[in-house]
Amino acid sequence: MFGPLGISLAPYVRSSKTLSKWIKPIATWYADASGYRKYGFKYDDLIMEENDQVQRALKRLTPQETYDRAYRLKRASHASILHKPLEKEQWTPVSADVRYLKPHVLGVLKEEAERQKWDSITFNKH
Amino acid sequence: MLSSRALTIQRFATTTARGFATAVADAAAGGVKVAAVDFGQPTSAVTVLVKAGSRFQNKEGLANVLKNFAFKSTAKRSAIGTVREAELYGGLLSASLTREHLALTAEFLRGDEAFFVDVLSSFITSARFTRHELGEYVQPLVSSDTLTASSNPATRALEAAHALAFRSGLGSSLFAPEHSHIGVDEIKTFAEGAFAKGNIAVVGTNIEASTLTKLVDASFASVAATNASTAPASKYFGGETRIESHEGPQTVFIGFGTTDSSTSAELATLTAHLSTTPLVKWAKGLSPLAQAVPEGTAVQSVYLPYSDASLFGVVVSSKTTEGAKEAGKAVVETLKKAAKGLTEQELKSVVAKAKFGAASEVESREGLVNVLGSKIFTGADVSVESTLSAFDKVTASSFSQAVSTLISAKPTFVVVGDSSRLPYADELGL
Repeated sequence: MFGPLGISLAPYVRSSKTLSKWIKPIATWYADASGYRKYGFKYDDLIMEENDQVQRALKRLTPQETYDRAYRLKRASHASILHKPLEKEQWTPVSADVRYLKPHVLGVLKEEAERQKWDSITFNKH
Repeated sequence: MLSSRALTIQRFATTTARGFATAVADAAAGGVKVAAVDFGQPTSAVTVLVKAGSRFQNKEGLANVLKNFAFKSTAKRSAIGTVREAELYGGLLSASLTREHLALTAEFLRGDEAFFVDVLSSFITSARFTRHELGEYVQPLVSSDTLTASSNPATRALEAAHALAFRSGLGSSLFAPEHSHIGVDEIKTFAEGAFAKGNIAVVGTNIEASTLTKLVDASFASVAATNASTAPASKYFGGETRIESHEGPQTVFIGFGTTDSSTSAELATLTAHLSTTPLVKWAKGLSPLAQAVPEGTAVQSVYLPYSDASLFGVVVSSKTTEGAKEAGKAVVETLKKAAKGLTEQELKSVVAKAKFGAASEVESREGLVNVLGSKIFTGADVSVESTLSAFDKVTASSFSQAVSTLISAKPTFVVVGDSSRLPYADELGL
């Protein structure tokens, strides 16, 4: 319904200085508390990949990024089998938790929107 | 009635008067050369020639990848935007590659030149060369080019012949190797080097020279004004190679190269002499070679002039290896006979044939761009008359002199097909 990235109020919050001042600490705490970093994940590893757009975006990662992603997924499923988080030094540091996939997904969505636009364009030549 | 006829005649007079424009290296464009010709036809075409052919590449297949990147996303519009917008204008966009040039062509209705020149120039000035487009759109095209070329024995023979004849430079292939690893960074570097003002020429047909110059001045203004690329001068080597192939007819290429450009009219005449194309339908043709070639065998003479060298040759393709051998022998015999000289009568008819071929070639758009492309960068006279007048200077002695010098060099000999049964060069008398 909201596309592969889900619904987000972040742009609205960021646009307001007061709101972001209030909400940022809560968001930071929430991201940490949700626990994915303890399993060595980055936030973009959690994006649901079972759709065409994200599949196409995944193909646009560099070979290094693809390798690292597969490694994180594998390490996390292993930790899940052991029923405990990774060792603390293997947790994802906040600085490393970057949106490496989001720009590619947005690129794919933009292309689809453009195709939609050209498919339904009305043309007036002067 | 009378006035309308008068008008027609007057219009005809003006179109013939501006039959051919000369190249202008415009000061404002800082070296982007422009040539335009108006035949008064309803569709126009603009070709941007870039000195980015395969002889300038420093890695196999780079030029081919750059060609297939044409009309992908630029800072101005995306790949799909380019295609759809061109579709709305009813235009055609195409890119082609030779050993010397990359040619980007747009064909469109008169009056839409502003948009199409912008499409062509935006690739030159602001192509984005994204990594995902290379993987998703460009790489499949590159592989399909390679596959198509490798399934055609004549193309394979010509590629191998170039590699033998010139080794590096002109010898490098137009196609990418089957497993090439070319990254976007290499493409970007190659494009940056090639897309300089001195390397670009714009040829327009059915468009006014002043309109085109104005558009080119405006849209190519941001191109770097660095000097033209130079490739090391070509040298002719020659040699023999045999390629095993199970597809298509048995093919033999017998050729000779030269770096002497002063005999181009003589060599074009020799090509016409060896051409077996009949002048009327269902006839065998009057050329001495056509009579000697066995049934089921085709012989085609090719003359490929480049800026500092040229390759002349004959492609024999036959159903059987015996047919290829017999035809090959006939070709060598005819060549040796031609080196001894033709009779005055023979020469006259062959020169006329060659002259007609050259004249009718420039009437088609592709032929015109081919002919202009070789001349416009050197600043030579780009009129058709200079091409044709060279044929008037061909004499019996200059012809036999040129042919005997040509065939005294080491031959370039390629066979593609059943290599264990196809003839060797010495078996044909080379």
